[in-house]
Amino acid sequence: MFRKTLQLGVGIALGFGLICGQADDLTAQDDGAIGTDVSHLNAGENPYTTAYDVRIGSGIFERSCSRCHGLDGTGGERGPDLTSGFQRASTDAGLFNVVRNGVPDTEMRGISQNRGDQSVWQIVSYLQTLSGGMRVDVPGDPVTGAAVYAQNDCAGCHVIDGVGSSSGPDLTTIGNRRSPAELASDLTDPDERVQPQWWMMNVTHNDGTRVEGRRLNEGTYSVRILDESGRMWSFEKRNLSQSERLENSTMPSYSENLSDDQLQDLIAYLYGLIRPLDG
Amino acid sequence: MKQYLIFVLLLMFATPAWAQVVVPGSLNPANRANSAVASFRSVTNDDLLNSSDQPENWLMYSGNYSSQRYTELDQINANNASDLQMQWAFQLRALDRAETTPVVVDGVMFVTESPSNVIALDARTGEQFWRYNYDLPEEVNYCCGRNNRGVAVLGDRLFMSTLDAHLIALDARTGTLLWDTEVARTEEGYSKTAAPLIVGDKVVTGIAGGEFGIRGFIDAYDPATGEQIWRFYTIPGPGEPGNDTWADDSWMTGGSATWVTGSYDPELNLIYWGTGNPGPDWNGDVRLGDNLYSDAVVALDADTGELVWYFQFTPHDVHDWDATQIPLLADTEYDGEQRKLMLWPNRNAWFYILDRETGQFLNGRPYARQSWAESLDENGRPRRVPDTFPSIEGTTVSPSIGGGSNWFSPSYSPLSDLVYVTAYDGETTYFIREDEYIPGERYTGGGGTTPLPQDSYHAALRAISPQTGLTQWEYPIQPRSTAGVLSTAGEVVFGGTVDGYFYALNSSTGEELWYVNLGSRVHSGAMSYAVDGVQYIGIAAGNVYYTFALGD
Repeated sequence: MFRKTLQLGVGIALGFGLICGQADDLTAQDDGAIGTDVSHLNAGENPYTTAYDVRIGSGIFERSCSRCHGLDGTGGERGPDLTSGFQRASTDAGLFNVVRNGVPDTEMRGISQNRGDQSVWQIVSYLQTLSGGMRVDVPGDPVTGAAVYAQNDCAGCHVIDGVGSSSGPDLTTIGNRRSPAELASDLTDPDERVQPQWWMMNVTHNDGTRVEGRRLNEGTYSVRILDESGRMWSFEKRNLSQSERLENSTMPSYSENLSDDQLQDLIAYLYGLIRPLDG
Repeated sequence: MKQYLIFVLLLMFATPAWAQVVVPGSLNPANRANSAVASFRSVTNDDLLNSSDQPENWLMYSGNYSSQRYTELDQINANNASDLQMQWAFQLRALDRAETTPVVVDGVMFVTESPSNVIALDARTGEQFWRYNYDLPEEVNYCCGRNNRGVAVLGDRLFMSTLDAHLIALDARTGTLLWDTEVARTEEGYSKTAAPLIVGDKVVTGIAGGEFGIRGFIDAYDPATGEQIWRFYTIPGPGEPGNDTWADDSWMTGGSATWVTGSYDPELNLIYWGTGNPGPDWNGDVRLGDNLYSDAVVALDADTGELVWYFQFTPHDVHDWDATQIPLLADTEYDGEQRKLMLWPNRNAWFYILDRETGQFLNGRPYARQSWAESLDENGRPRRVPDTFPSIEGTTVSPSIGGGSNWFSPSYSPLSDLVYVTAYDGETTYFIREDEYIPGERYTGGGGTTPLPQDSYHAALRAISPQTGLTQWEYPIQPRSTAGVLSTAGEVVFGGTVDGYFYALNSSTGEELWYVNLGSRVHSGAMSYAVDGVQYIGIAAGNVYYTFALGD
């Protein structure tokens, strides 16, 4: 009896967020949902967000999701990276829907109906930790951090709210995507794992033209480059006499240039750059 | 135009069997549906045994029983492949990337569509005769995409695997369902994606589900009734030889799936089939032992399904390196003698040369980046590099989980005497985790991450000598490829890339001849057929089936 109430409660709570699945859920096996009072639930709120739930969610993720999305959620040969935001949902309820039901006509299938809604919510809690969504306290001062950002001319390469240069990643909502620890690593060890869209390339055309810039896209036969002055180039490789790819970051490491306090403050500032809450 | 007339005239004088359907004047694509010749005919065992004598037809998944994915057609050749032009495109309805290889019988193409549908097309125009949509249950357990790779044909019947682990027979002329046999229970994690293989009066077929703690097998069914004739379990049961290579009861959930089509040697009456990873994939601690016959090739008596010999590539695999590659059979020289060989670019990044009469290991060399085996001993058993097993904190090893190559078909050309394989020099950081077997749920015991972005690693089409296992040349691919390979008597080899290119190379030299962007990943292997004297090359990219022929 209770289970029916819980499922129904979740169904109502999610409203339009969930397209289907409730009817099945009434008969689906329960995986140990306990007697939680769900009367407080409002639209799309995840009732299972404790550290324990994250740990359980992590285990289910490993078992059911990691083959495509990688054990750490950074993506694999089949599934996208889940550590830098989500393509298909921007709310807990939306994530719940994607995990529960899958995405039609893609390789993303819903989780087994043998899994109760509690398991799905626990996966959602874990996914939110992957993309920096589980908020934690940070020691630094964001106001001082904003000054550090300005003093070091970070806007010379980065954009925040449309201000700055777009030769590096847009930081407007970086706090949603990166945890404080990841931000610290980004600042002190920027070469660790540079995403391919930020690699650099220099090439020489058969007519002698030399172009150096961001490697926007590359295939077996051709390459597209954005040079420093913002011109877009597209070359057939057979027309190039020389071509070199640099997989390092163009950002310097700030482990030496900034004091520990300055780094803490800068991290606090960046971590506070989050998208406004929906509605 | 002139060269085609010459070609047609040559054909008329040379008159190979397949040239008799040539209708002069039909070479303009617009006229290709004009010939008043009925399409399709009943396919006999003789047709299948001698499929190379009728290269206008593509009668089975890999083209012939040797699985060489090689065509005797040579209208398209190294001198004119740069004139290839698209003839027609057929939009598949599903959005999954297609892994299908169609069968063509006298001008009718039977192409499968994800998850488990078949469409019969006019092979000249891409227009539909009929469509069959299989009704899947709501709950289906499968690992890696809602794939289907093709049908088998015998008589007037088509045979196809379905995602929910059934085998069905259809009337090839109408798409009418004739029988539907449940091969295994999808509720327990079994699924089916591969094209069956017709051997004599049997439909031979494998099973998928290696990530779900299944027990793998190879089955033979009666084409008339769908009744099972024999089953060979790829994991021996209690009391059978090899069962003691599994600790405790781990044999019951040991995987060893058979999810790609096998090969057949009619002279030896042996069926060859590759087997998949032991389960759980990355936690070998719960299944100590060699785990026979996982990651192996088994040679079965085609009449009885009894094991004649086996060769295990990766004993006690802990990296998910299935040996479900297509068994390439080649009759060529080895060590000064003409030999019946089996050539195997394995997912574990080693290339194996076996004697397929006995299973004897002859030679093995890495063909892609690998860091797990120092060498192979005289029996082909790997001498492992220490500390390469998955760990709690992660162990980085080459090849990647996806392997040096994978399920996508390699090709062997008797013309160039080379094996062509899509190779990837990747790596993965492998983790071990505890796992609990729950029927129908994933049972993998860990996983992996890619230390660098995938585009950082090198990929290439490699041409390998069957005498030495050495790479003769390579064609670099950026960013990488998961496409099968076709080679031809016209000295051409066809392959594809993940960013949607389909290309042609000179099969002797690797010289680039032609390429075209098809807009989405080429994830299947090309095939070839001819109608009205015109040679076509067919390939799936994304969810569209394309054909190419020489332009005017």
